[in-house]
Amino acid sequence: MGENLVEIDGMKRYYEMVSGTVKALDGVDLEVKGGERIILLGPSGSGKTTLLNCIAALDSPTAGTYSFEGKEVPRNAPEEMTTFRRENIGYVFQFFNLLQDLTVLENLLLIQELAGGRDEKRARELLALVGLEDEVDRFPTEISGGQQQRVAIARSLAKKPKLLLGDELTGNLDTKTSSMVMEVLVKACEAEGITTVFVTHDESLIKFATRVIRLDSGIVISDQDA
Amino acid sequence: MKILLTKRLFRSLWRSKLRLVAVVLIIMVGVMSGIAFGHYAHMTTNMYSDIYEDSEEGVNLADVWVENPRGVWESSESDTLCEEISLKWSDADLPMVECEPRLILDGLLFDTEEDGSQRLVPAVWHGIDEGYVDRVWMPEDSCCNGRLAVESNEIVLDAHAVDGLGVELGDTISIGAGQGKMNFIIVGFGYHPMHLYFAAPGSIVPAESGKFATGYLTSEGLESLANVSSGTSNMLLIDILGSPDYDLQSTDDNEGEELAGIIDSMLITVTDIDASTIVYDRSGVESVEFLRADAEGAMKTYPVITGMLVIVAGITIFLSLQRLIQSQAREIAILRTLGIPRSAIMPSYILAPAVIGLYGTILGILGGIFLGAPAMESVYETVIGIPAIGGSTVNSSILEISAITMLLVMFSGIRPAWQAANLDPLKVLRGQHEVKLSSKTMQKFTSRLPTTIGLTIRSSTRKPIRLAFTFFAVGLSMLILGSMLFMMDSMEDLFLGNAGENSNWDQQAIVFPGMEDAITEWADENALDYELLLTMPASPDGDSRQLVAMGLDVFSTSGNEAMQTLNLVEGSLPSEGTDPPEALVDEGIQHFLGWGVGEVQTIRFGSQAVDFKIVGITEGEIARTVYLHRADLAVEVDLEATSVLLSYPDGFGQTTDLGDMSIGIIDKQETIDAMESLMETQQAFFIAIQFLGVVIAIVVLFNTLIINLAERDLELATLRVLGAPIKRIGSMMLGEHFAIGLIGGVLGAIFSILGTQWMISQLVQWSFYFKVNADPLISSYLVGIVLFISVALTPLGMWRVYRMDLVEKVKDFST
Repeated sequence: MGENLVEIDGMKRYYEMVSGTVKALDGVDLEVKGGERIILLGPSGSGKTTLLNCIAALDSPTAGTYSFEGKEVPRNAPEEMTTFRRENIGYVFQFFNLLQDLTVLENLLLIQELAGGRDEKRARELLALVGLEDEVDRFPTEISGGQQQRVAIARSLAKKPKLLLGDELTGNLDTKTSSMVMEVLVKACEAEGITTVFVTHDESLIKFATRVIRLDSGIVISDQDA
Repeated sequence: MKILLTKRLFRSLWRSKLRLVAVVLIIMVGVMSGIAFGHYAHMTTNMYSDIYEDSEEGVNLADVWVENPRGVWESSESDTLCEEISLKWSDADLPMVECEPRLILDGLLFDTEEDGSQRLVPAVWHGIDEGYVDRVWMPEDSCCNGRLAVESNEIVLDAHAVDGLGVELGDTISIGAGQGKMNFIIVGFGYHPMHLYFAAPGSIVPAESGKFATGYLTSEGLESLANVSSGTSNMLLIDILGSPDYDLQSTDDNEGEELAGIIDSMLITVTDIDASTIVYDRSGVESVEFLRADAEGAMKTYPVITGMLVIVAGITIFLSLQRLIQSQAREIAILRTLGIPRSAIMPSYILAPAVIGLYGTILGILGGIFLGAPAMESVYETVIGIPAIGGSTVNSSILEISAITMLLVMFSGIRPAWQAANLDPLKVLRGQHEVKLSSKTMQKFTSRLPTTIGLTIRSSTRKPIRLAFTFFAVGLSMLILGSMLFMMDSMEDLFLGNAGENSNWDQQAIVFPGMEDAITEWADENALDYELLLTMPASPDGDSRQLVAMGLDVFSTSGNEAMQTLNLVEGSLPSEGTDPPEALVDEGIQHFLGWGVGEVQTIRFGSQAVDFKIVGITEGEIARTVYLHRADLAVEVDLEATSVLLSYPDGFGQTTDLGDMSIGIIDKQETIDAMESLMETQQAFFIAIQFLGVVIAIVVLFNTLIINLAERDLELATLRVLGAPIKRIGSMMLGEHFAIGLIGGVLGAIFSILGTQWMISQLVQWSFYFKVNADPLISSYLVGIVLFISVALTPLGMWRVYRMDLVEKVKDFST
C-alpha cells in the first residue's frame, strides 16, 4: 500500500432538525492509503453515506479535520469543493445517473470536457476496460442496468480520479450482475491504480475489498483488513 | 379525500409563489385592459350616439350633406336645391325633415401675442341660421358655458381651442375669411359635431390647443365676414326622419342601402342644377368617421387584447401544471396504486387554474373599474379634447371579459388534469415516465458537435411542445410590445414623412377659387418660391366614398424640385396633357378598389365623370388620393387652384398680409408640432403598454427556463457531483438561453410584424388607410429584448445550481 491519501481526525457531522440534533458522524478517525479498496458497512442511519459525502466534499463536516494527500480539504465553499472533486474524486451512483440524452461514449466525453480536456482515445479505452467497446454509440436506455453501471464506472474513471467513491453502487443490480460489475470495477481500478471507498449493505461484496470498516451511530465500530 | 388532494395541490403551487403571483398579475392585467378598452369603446359609442341624437342635449347630426366644393350658392339657388330635393324625394318610408342651407368657410383667427404681434391661426367658421341640424353641443360640463351666437357680432368658440388661445367669455377676437378681418365677441364655448375630432382641414392629427380654431357665428355674422350676400351657403344639411343606417366603410356589406338609394337619387337632382355638387352621408364627414372608426377599433380590439394576455397566462399555467404533475408523478402513482380513482385526481387540477383565474379576474375587474376605465377616460379627454360624459362601465362587457378569461384559464388546466389522471402508475414507479429524449434527428444532428454543446441543444429541444408554447407566448407578449412600436414608428413616418420630409413648403395658403393671383403676386414681390395646388373632392364612379383629386404642378419623388414630393412605389410619374390624363393613385385606393397601373378608371366630380389612366401607385397618404397634373385637373373642374404652397427663405419675417389674402393657412411646422405633441401626450400610455409586453415576456421566459432547469436537476446535480465547475454549467446554460432567446426573439419579431399587420388590416378603412412598416431596427430591438431577457436569466439558473444541496440530491438519486 502507498502513502496516506485520506486522513480524517475526529470528524463530526451534526444536523439540526426540528426534533433535535442528529449526530450523523460523531468523531470518526480514518486513514486511507493509496491503492486500498475499502467497503463501509453498517445499518441504515449508521453514518456511512454521510462519511462518504464528507470524503467526496459533497458535505462539510461540523468538526474535525480532513486532509487529502496532506492538504486540508475545503469545506463550506461549494466551488472549491467542486474543484476538489473534479481533481481528485470519482463517484458512482446507485442509479447510475447516466445522461440519457448522450450515448455511452458521450457520457464519458462530457465529463472530460467539463474537466477541461476531451480525450476520446482514453474514453474508448475505459469503455473497453469495462467490456463495453461495442456499445459506445448506444444510448443508456438501450443497454441493461449492469451495462449502465459499467458505463458509470468508466465515466467516473474518465478524468483519472485518485479516489473512487460509490454509494450502494450495486444496490440496483441482481447478485450475478453485482459480482460482474464489481469484478470490472476492481479490474479497472487496479489497472488505473485508483483507491476506492464503497458504501454497501451487501456483505457478499466484502470479497472485493482489501479493508472493511463498520459504522454504527456515527462512529467506527470496527476496521479490519478483508 | 378530494379536499385533501386539492389542498395538497394548492400547497405545492404555493411553493412557487413568484410564478403564481406573476400568473395572477397577467390575468389581472388582461382583464383590467379589457375592461378599460371595453369601457372606452362602449363609452365613446354611446356618447357619440347621444351627441348626434335629435334631442335637447343632442345636436341632431345631419344624415346627408350636399356640398358645393367650388364656390357658394346664392340664397335663391339653395332654396331651389332644397325644393327640388324635397319634390324628388325618393323614399317615402324615410321622409326628409329638414333641408338647412349653411355657410362653412375656412378662415383665420388673428391671435394677439403677449408682445403685441399677431399670430395666424387656421380656422373654420360656421354661419348657423336656423340651427335645426348640426347644432352646437354645449354639455353641462366645465368645458362649456355661455350661449349661442344671436347677434351678428357674436361667436361661440370651439372649446378645444380655448386653453391654447387663453380667451374668456366676453373677450373680443379678430377673425377673417379671406376678406379682411372683423371683431367678434365670444358669447359661448362649445363643440360642433363636424369638429369633435379637432383636426385642421387636411390633417388627421388632432390640433394642439390654440393652433386651430373653429367658431359658430350667426349666418349674418359670417356673411358679413366673408362679404357675401344674405342667404349665401355652400352646404345643405339634410335631416331624415329617425336615424337611417348608413354604409360603414369598415365592412364589406352595405348597411345603408336605403340611404344610398336616397343619396343616388338626390345626386341626380342636385347635379341637374349644379353639376359640381357632391352628396355624402356621415361616412364622408371626417370627424364623424374618425371617431366612429376609433370606437369601432376599440370595440374590436378589447377582446383581442384580453384574449392575448389571458392566453399567455393560460400557457404559463399549463406549463407550470405540467411540470407540477411531473414532479408529483410518484405521489399520483402511489395514490393510483392504492386505489384512488382517476375522477378523484382530476378535479383539483381543473380547480387550480379556476381559482388562479378567479383571483386574477376579480383583481382585474377592480383594477379595470377603478383604474383602467378612469385612465382611458383621461387619455380620451387629453387626446380628443372633449369631456367623457355619461360613460359608465358596461356590465355586459365586464361579464364578457370575465367569461373569456375564466374559460381560457380553465381550458389551460384540462390537458394537465387529464395527464395527471391518466399517468400509468407502473411506468411512473419504474421511473420510465421521466425518460424523455431528444429526437433521433436532433441526436444525429448534434453527434459531431462537442458533447457539452450537443447536450445543450438536445436538452433544450427535448420538449418541443413546451418550447413551441413558450415561443407562442413570447410571440404574443412581443406582439403587445411590437405592435405599439411598429404602429408608433409607422404613424410617425406617415405623419412626419408627409408633413416633414415630403413637404418642401412652409405654409399652404387656402384661397377662394380664382383668388390665388393675389398671393402669387405677393410671393413674387417677396421673391418667394411657390407652387399652385388644386384639390377637389371626388368619388370613384359608382361609389359614394369620397376621395381627393389633387392637382400638382411638379411631380417629383425626392429633392427640392417639387413643393410636395411623393413616395412612388410602383409605376412612373404622370406626363402632362395626355388623353386620357395620366394620374397616380395611392395604395389605399389600390387596396380598396383594386385599381392598378395601366388601367383607365373614372372618378366623378358631382355628376361630371373624368377618365384617367393610372401610371403609378404612391404610398404614405392617409386619405384616398388621386394625383393629376394641375393643368389636366384644371381643365376638368374649371378651376385653377384652391391653395398656394409657399416656401420661405431663412429669416423671412412673416406678416399678416397672407392672412388678409387667404381663407386659411396650414403651417407645416405647426402640423409637425401637433404630431409630436400627440406622440408626447401618449408617451406614458405607450411606455406602459411596452413595459407590460416586456414584463410578460420575462414571466413567460422565466417560467419555461426555470422549468427546463428544474427538470434537469438530476442531470445538473450529477454533473456537479462529478466535479463540473459552475462556470462550465453556466456557459452551457448561457448557450441554451442564447439559442432560446434568439429563436424566441426572431419568432417574436415575425409574430409582431404579422400580428400588427393583421390588426391594422382589421382597423383600416377607406378614410384611414395605413400600412405597417417592418422597420428592421424595431425588429432587431424586439429580438434583442427577448435575447436579453433570456440571457439575463442565466445567472438566476446558475445561482439555482450553485446553491443546490448536493447531499439532498444524492439522497434523491438513491430513492
